[in-house]
Amino acid sequence: MPSLGLFLSQLFNGLALGALLALVASGLTIIFGTLGLVNFAHGALFAFGAYAGFVTYGLTHSFVLALAAGALVTGLLGLLMEWSLIRRYYARPPEDQILVTFGIGIVIVESLRMAFGGLTQNVPQPAWGRGILNLHYFFYPVYRLEVLGIAALALFGLYLLIYWTRLGLIVRAGIEDPLMVRMLGIRVPRVMTLVFGIGAVAAGFAGVVYAPIVSAAPDMGSSVQVQSFVVVVIGGLGSFPGAVVGGIIAGEILSLTSMFDPAYSDVALYALMALMLFVLPRGLLGTEGRG
Amino acid sequence: MSRLRALRAEGIVLAVLALLPWVAPALHVPADVLTRSLIWGLFGLGFDILFGFTGMLSFGQAAFYGTGGFVSAWLLTSGTLSSVPLALLIGMAAATAYGLIVGYVSLRRVGIYFAMITLAFGEMSFFLENSPLAAWTGGENGLPGVPTPSLGLFGHVYAVKAGWPLYAFIATIFFAGYVVARRIVASPYGVVLRAIKSNPRRAPAVGHDAQRYKLSAFVLAAAYAGLAGGLLGVFQGYMPPDAFFLSTSGQLVLSTVIGGRATLIGPLIGAFTWIDLRSVLQQVPHLGAAWKLIFGAVFVVIVTLFRRGIFTISWNPGDVHAVGVELPSD
Repeated sequence: MPSLGLFLSQLFNGLALGALLALVASGLTIIFGTLGLVNFAHGALFAFGAYAGFVTYGLTHSFVLALAAGALVTGLLGLLMEWSLIRRYYARPPEDQILVTFGIGIVIVESLRMAFGGLTQNVPQPAWGRGILNLHYFFYPVYRLEVLGIAALALFGLYLLIYWTRLGLIVRAGIEDPLMVRMLGIRVPRVMTLVFGIGAVAAGFAGVVYAPIVSAAPDMGSSVQVQSFVVVVIGGLGSFPGAVVGGIIAGEILSLTSMFDPAYSDVALYALMALMLFVLPRGLLGTEGRG
Repeated sequence: MSRLRALRAEGIVLAVLALLPWVAPALHVPADVLTRSLIWGLFGLGFDILFGFTGMLSFGQAAFYGTGGFVSAWLLTSGTLSSVPLALLIGMAAATAYGLIVGYVSLRRVGIYFAMITLAFGEMSFFLENSPLAAWTGGENGLPGVPTPSLGLFGHVYAVKAGWPLYAFIATIFFAGYVVARRIVASPYGVVLRAIKSNPRRAPAVGHDAQRYKLSAFVLAAAYAGLAGGLLGVFQGYMPPDAFFLSTSGQLVLSTVIGGRATLIGPLIGAFTWIDLRSVLQQVPHLGAAWKLIFGAVFVVIVTLFRRGIFTISWNPGDVHAVGVELPSD
């Protein structure tokens, strides 16, 4: 059996990774809930955010500015994506929506590769995140704790946005009954553009936060995207609480199983997903979805 | 006469495949580019039955491509088998069996869920290959030393060498796969598959067990993928782990859509487009990685403006759609 210290430190790793996955997946789930499409470019937006943060950090040497710029620029890219292409797809079959976002994702990732090369770019941890903390039972890197805090704060921000603002009200109403929202005279297309932008902000922000842990690379988003898909399958597609719960579960599975045998950690995650499909095909908190 | 007309597509494909060894060198297209395209084309025949004809967008086909490839390659490199065709068949059978399991689970959800779940199973298969099964698959290194086939013809043993002989071997298999796929989509069974695509609710309502048809299409696609994966190892003399990559599944989707869905030959044309573009751009400094950017941008344009792909823009084969009953196009 692993020691208590190892167990606790893996538990924290799982929480930090889980909060990050929850953030990425909640962007995915908000977009799906409102727009009815799954964004296959979500991983690319994650990588784009990491690079935007990397460039900003190089220019300003401020991690806070890197976070802000990464989130903002990715959000703008999201607005542009929705406004230029994705809105033309709402009336088309779901397969076409997947294909176009998948294609946009390739264009983003390959543009990053052309601009920065295929090698990984090291993004330094912020000055206030360096060092190791003695938590009595185990030593733990400060930055990972901060990742947990930052991601939790961002999730809380999203929660406030969805449940306590007028825009959030429209978004939730749109998930329930899009036709009625339109009949009430709300300019749905503008809301949809904005929602896609918010989803992109969540992915880009998570990308900046994650970059110091793994380094930025053009393909860094692809495994995160698949994991966030698993998160929404577990949590229920279109449900914000589902994304949070699913994210934590996925993060814990990935890190707790790697304590026993790292070779099986990813496999265990997908095995859980397969199990969920048998027991609860709609996910933990999913409703009768559009899928 | 109508029987002959129905075989027109087969005749054209056969003629083009047979003429290419004489035409391609004049156009500066190497044999390896064509052989690799044919492997992708074979991989795409099954995928087109699944996606183009039945309407199920899977992002996890690499799982079966890799399974077929690694099972065949392991049989040949471990000394278990010496016959390449037999190893290819066993690899194909293994991929088919795996397709049955994955399909059974994935088909519990449809549409976007199906795309996400197959993507996840594709990734799971990569991780299985990469670590728990690394003792057999070589993990990140793959399996080197896959032999080329030796065929017994009229008492002589003929070793198929790399280059045009291997092209001929793989082109023959592709052509056989193409003829079978044409038979499948033109059969009453194929008509039901298209009915499921054009109206997923109506097909079961008129009494077809849609779930079983979908599963069978999924298994068929896995079988084609497994055979293509086995050929990849034979072609390269090495079975690479990137057969299991997500990007392999994605590349298949790109090839099929760019070439033209529901045409059977579209994936081959789409694959040839990027494989040739890549081999040309690799000789240009600083542009070696640009092929995928170009290909991705072209893909977005095609999905947005020309839904039926380059093949159907340039030449509509008509007879693929004119079999049996006429179904409304989507």
